[in-house]
Amino acid sequence: MSLLLQSIVLGVLLGGLYALLAAGLTLYFGVMRVVMIAHSAFLILAAYLAWWFSTETGIDPLVSLIGTVPLFFVMGVAVQRLLISRLNPSSLTMMSVLLTFSIALVIEGMLGFVWSGTQRRVRLSYGGGDFEIFGANIAVVKLIAFGLAAVSLLALFLLLTRTKFGQALRATIQHPEAARLVGINTDRIAGYGFGIGLATAAIGGTALSLDATIYPSLHWHWIGPLMAIIVVGGLGSIPGAAIAAMLLGLGQSLLQIPLGTTWAQTFFYIALFLTLMVRPQGFFGGRLAQRF
Amino acid sequence: MKVSPRLRLTALAVTGSLALTGCISSGDEGGSGDDDTITIGISLPLTGDYSEPGKGIQRGYEAWAAYINENGGLLGKQVELEILDDQSSADRVASDYERLINQEGVDLVVGPFSTRLVIPAAQVAQDYGFLFVEPAGAAPEVFEQGFDNLFYAAPAVADDHYNYLADHIEQMPADQRPETAAVASMDDPFAMGTAYGLKDRLEEMGVEIVVDEVYPPNTTNFDSIAAKIADSDADMVVGGTQYQDAVNMILALQQLDYQPEMAAFSTAPTEPEFESAIGGNTEGIIAPTGYTPHSDYPTNKEFVDFYTELHGEPPAEDQANAWTTGQVVAAAVEAVECADPDPECQQQLIDWLRENEVDTVVGPLTWDDQGRPQGAHMIQQWVDGEIRIVLPEDLAEAEFIPVKPRW
Repeated sequence: MSLLLQSIVLGVLLGGLYALLAAGLTLYFGVMRVVMIAHSAFLILAAYLAWWFSTETGIDPLVSLIGTVPLFFVMGVAVQRLLISRLNPSSLTMMSVLLTFSIALVIEGMLGFVWSGTQRRVRLSYGGGDFEIFGANIAVVKLIAFGLAAVSLLALFLLLTRTKFGQALRATIQHPEAARLVGINTDRIAGYGFGIGLATAAIGGTALSLDATIYPSLHWHWIGPLMAIIVVGGLGSIPGAAIAAMLLGLGQSLLQIPLGTTWAQTFFYIALFLTLMVRPQGFFGGRLAQRF
Repeated sequence: MKVSPRLRLTALAVTGSLALTGCISSGDEGGSGDDDTITIGISLPLTGDYSEPGKGIQRGYEAWAAYINENGGLLGKQVELEILDDQSSADRVASDYERLINQEGVDLVVGPFSTRLVIPAAQVAQDYGFLFVEPAGAAPEVFEQGFDNLFYAAPAVADDHYNYLADHIEQMPADQRPETAAVASMDDPFAMGTAYGLKDRLEEMGVEIVVDEVYPPNTTNFDSIAAKIADSDADMVVGGTQYQDAVNMILALQQLDYQPEMAAFSTAPTEPEFESAIGGNTEGIIAPTGYTPHSDYPTNKEFVDFYTELHGEPPAEDQANAWTTGQVVAAAVEAVECADPDPECQQQLIDWLRENEVDTVVGPLTWDDQGRPQGAHMIQQWVDGEIRIVLPEDLAEAEFIPVKPRW
């Protein structure tokens, strides 16, 4: 019983982190039909910046968010305006895969060049800390990562539903031409949308750095599961990504008990395969995606 | 004019042979044409997944070549290394050795890093009749391929890495031995070799294996594995690990408040970054190692001094294994008095190593017919904030801690 409870707790915490890591990925696709292979490379870049900041200053890596969130937002706008917007609209989705694949390679190479391929880990006084609730142990770092995910996703949700910019962004997602007709500068909005996506990567990468050993090629291990999450959730739907992340995180954690690690990981790809077979628009997408 | 198919085939065969001969002869001119040098070809993973250990091996090889050259060279000739980057790719490493032998015309070849790359590289060397001494293919698979040219330049194969620890546990009084053990290993020939070598020995002595997990190399989350181990409350945890998975697993175990009496992990605990990565809670963690800079084998002091002067820090296991590879090749070359790609010379080198013992920085080495070294790894343990040799007792720098303090 305690293993089951422990696995549920771990699965929920993992699902929260997955939701944060996948949020930006689904936003890019929702706004611009861009498949952003480099998203996980930006996550690892943020993780490296958090590690570097913490190592150089001795201050908690979470403080680095003050710098990395705006930096990543600006980088996102720049990537969209300077690179993505130049792609031919008729082949945008396909070409974005190639373009962002090359961006991922550049980031990986740069990380290796600057900080070498050595595996790094942020040294935290509370890294191994935990407390117990009803017989289940909860790690402090995992709870912090989960909290970051919850706050960021809520902020993102409020930004998209309660602000004028959010309305413009949703209008751009739902019908770009109609949005242009009512005076929305969809190019600028798309740039900001991309910037917000990368800003979530800054938060996600920092959360990841609290509890993971990082190295330049780590992003290849993340992009597959994250892609599976946003397809199952429905491309473009942030609540869909969050629900799918939670279900897949929990499923992975629980399947581990009877089936072992390899099959538990394969669960993501089985879910991806079944989604594409049965409901290609995703289980939580469709109309939900239009509403956020 | 009509050309018969047979004539075409003959022409193709002749052209092919000429081209091949051309390649080989032009290669000869490229590498060993210079009588004053001996060129040694190596392909290493300088980029990609294995780039860190790959660069460590490179530093070891380069230090060895520099040392040899400063001390009169091999057979009076200067040693030159021809190093290619295989990008951690098994396809690429095979074509690299083809290129080294055929186009670069090297006199000798030595091995790359990792079992995955050693096997394809050794196959190419075997096809051309070259001696193949390698510093990093310890998994059982390496020695099951039927290579008769391969020699692993380290004290023991992966299965035997924990032998001294297993012997020690066996000799403990029955009431002090661990009763249960949890085993988790990366799905990797080397990591599994080390973990399952110990697991088999533990089972033989009656220790119950309560968790037996194998995880894919790309695993990033160790929570569930840790939850299983913590739930089993095993007396001992054995990790068949590389660096990052060992660190992630140990932290996940700490976060679940699991406290084993013995904790053994391969590879990671001997790495310089290990202590900082797991927040300093290293006391009592066990790891097998083939090398320590403190050992008093005859040539080790020269190696440590030379390497430390060159790089400002003492050598680690990867560098020692590369240096050992150089020592093994050099011993054969000096004994047989030849170092060229000629099959006869290469066969003499192979035959000599089959019959003889070589003194190296990791101790005296001899090999069986498949190239397995006939030795054992030492066991290190974190004692008073430092990793020290604890087994075997005649080499021990510190006393074995039988019950691991809290981490």
